[in-house]
Amino acid sequence: MANFAIDAVKATTYDAIVIGSGISGGWAAKELTEKGLRTLVLERGRDVKHVVDYPTTMLNTWEMEHRGQLPLGIRKENPIVGKCYAFHEGSAHFFVKDAEHPYVQEKPFDWIRGYQVGGKSLLWARQTQRWSDFDFQGPARDGFAVDWPIRYADIAPWYSHVEKFAGITGNKDGLATLPDGEFLPPHEWNCVEKYFSQQMAAKYKDRPVIMGRAAHITKPQPIHLQQGRAQCQHRTICERGCPFGGYFSSNASTLPWAAKTGKLTLRPHSVVHSIIYDEKKGKATGVRVIDATTKEMIEFYARIIFVNAAALNTNLVLLNSTSNRFPNGLGNDSGVLGKYAAFHNYRAGISGEYDGYLESTTEGRRPNSPYIPRFRNVHKQETDFLRGYAAGFSANRISRSNQEGFGADLKTNLANPTLGGWSVGSHMMGETIPKESNYVALDKTLKDPFGIPQLKVSIVYDDNDDKMVKDYQEQMMEMFTAAGFKNLRVRDDKRNPGLDIHEMGGARMGKDPKTSILNKWNQMHHVKNVFVTDGASMTSTSTQNPSLTYMALTARAVDYAVKEMKKMNL
Amino acid sequence: MERRKALKSLAVAVGGLVSMPAWANGWNSANLPSGASFLAPRADAVLAEVVETILPATDTPGAKALGVHTFIQKIVTDCMEPSAQDSLTKGLMAVEALAQKTYSKSFASLDAGQKAEVLKTISQSSDADEKGFFSLVKGMTIRGYMTSEYVMNNITHYEMVPGRYHGCVPVVAKNTTPKTQQNK
Repeated sequence: MANFAIDAVKATTYDAIVIGSGISGGWAAKELTEKGLRTLVLERGRDVKHVVDYPTTMLNTWEMEHRGQLPLGIRKENPIVGKCYAFHEGSAHFFVKDAEHPYVQEKPFDWIRGYQVGGKSLLWARQTQRWSDFDFQGPARDGFAVDWPIRYADIAPWYSHVEKFAGITGNKDGLATLPDGEFLPPHEWNCVEKYFSQQMAAKYKDRPVIMGRAAHITKPQPIHLQQGRAQCQHRTICERGCPFGGYFSSNASTLPWAAKTGKLTLRPHSVVHSIIYDEKKGKATGVRVIDATTKEMIEFYARIIFVNAAALNTNLVLLNSTSNRFPNGLGNDSGVLGKYAAFHNYRAGISGEYDGYLESTTEGRRPNSPYIPRFRNVHKQETDFLRGYAAGFSANRISRSNQEGFGADLKTNLANPTLGGWSVGSHMMGETIPKESNYVALDKTLKDPFGIPQLKVSIVYDDNDDKMVKDYQEQMMEMFTAAGFKNLRVRDDKRNPGLDIHEMGGARMGKDPKTSILNKWNQMHHVKNVFVTDGASMTSTSTQNPSLTYMALTARAVDYAVKEMKKMNL
Repeated sequence: MERRKALKSLAVAVGGLVSMPAWANGWNSANLPSGASFLAPRADAVLAEVVETILPATDTPGAKALGVHTFIQKIVTDCMEPSAQDSLTKGLMAVEALAQKTYSKSFASLDAGQKAEVLKTISQSSDADEKGFFSLVKGMTIRGYMTSEYVMNNITHYEMVPGRYHGCVPVVAKNTTPKTQQNK
């Protein structure tokens, strides 16, 4: 009997546990297994195997039951996820439906989630910009949030490490605000985008318009072919899952790579309840999991634990990991856990038209678009708001047909559309300031279907965000006008926080254990064998897309953790 | 090597479709009537003639042969408010009634010119419901036609896998590119 118990513990003991299989969890799995650690990856959702579990990926429009449109019942049942641009008939199966995992909106927050192996890495918009020191120095400069414990130089080699493997398209632009990376060939500009870029270069010293950097394989290297991935085929239906592995996802890249080492155990349907803290040992010893199928509570053990449940769920897991030593959540002596959550402000946009280059058009499709790195408050504080914003930009021509009347003439007209003029557009991506008052916490009474406390979300815009929206609109109006674009319309869609799907913070990195949860290695100040390397760890949000930074921080943290294990420090 | 891998991937993907797991069809839930046709056979036949009158067979197939009337019923049933079903049913009754009143014949047995006259009258009706019906059916006929296999393959030449993006190509050259090249 005693032997049986020992065997049972052995069978559930690994070198490392990774909570979550999304973009950062996949990287943790790859790096840990490559370094020889027997690694258990816990995923709360179902398995999604590359290619075979992408049921809509090869469907033509006419082969989809509603030709892409979602049934009324689905839309009515999902007022939150239904707002997401990527939620449609071809992709709905990769999104969490509103009723599946309830949460409390103390303030309106559109929480978009993907509970399956691969998480939201199947669904992301694939923009991969490096953060610069202007991003890492933001809090130190203006005193909001705490200083990042790292600078660009600390993470630069790890950006290179993950970029080479993931496959990032981009152009070396030599910008201080947006460091260059290890790039595959860049995507092409169209005539009007190129023209706008040239106009801005002529008019402004500091507003370069560049081609976006994105996780698409434009020219496969041996490392990509070894992963079984091929060149991006420009289908631009990425959110259905890509049978070519043309864009980076955990499913196409890191997880199969980790599996090849023979060290990976992937356990879907495993909802993490909490992390087990052993007070005698003074460290975490494992993870409590509720099997989503049997509803049974199971424990798994490991020497180190990586928490990669996606920003807000990572907060939920840590807050729910209580013990005598940590009554307010794991590693939460400072009381900041769940606080200083922030996101990206995507509220504003501009659209217009251009009547030049009518002799030119585009051919094929491009899964990427030009990008305007932050140009506000870069070298000095020059506006009445803090930090800044980046912007997406693109131009395209749409064919339109005359749809008057009916009969044979209408049919002829539909078959002979005329090419419209150029449409131009941009949207903002603004940095929001992490504040104590923007937080997540456990609801005291409401539970989710697994008996785990529901997450209460209280995250709002502030005056700084409103000012930034106004400035973006004014600056883009000026820039579009300077380029000769016409019929300009600015918008502020007043979307709820969350719909940006860039929520960050709550378990932030920092130098001081009194004001942060993690040190400069993404290691918990007070529980040394627990690492948090997803969006929860972010001290501030920057004006760049965050996923590439999660990948780099994860690889860097694994490297550190394994070295510490070898030194017997963990 | 690359190509072979890609083809292999495609084969696996198509294989995956055959055994589409239950969750992928989760939205066809029992609380939604998802039958292709909620109209009585006669109304279904009237709708088929209506869509055919909007987009008739010429040297290429018309809306009826492309099953656009079935598509419309599917979308109206699954994707629209119940009032849309009502509007469609009543509108088709109005079409039939007008055919009987004007020509003493059912709509289906009118000649093409007569059918067009009936629809023209409905489209210009002072009755907001009849007008609304026509604009609903016409919009959905265009959508069903444009998203049909025949039209996407043979008329608009949609490319599922373009494999390229060229930013600046001359407009003229694009329009004169032979179909065989566009389809590759």
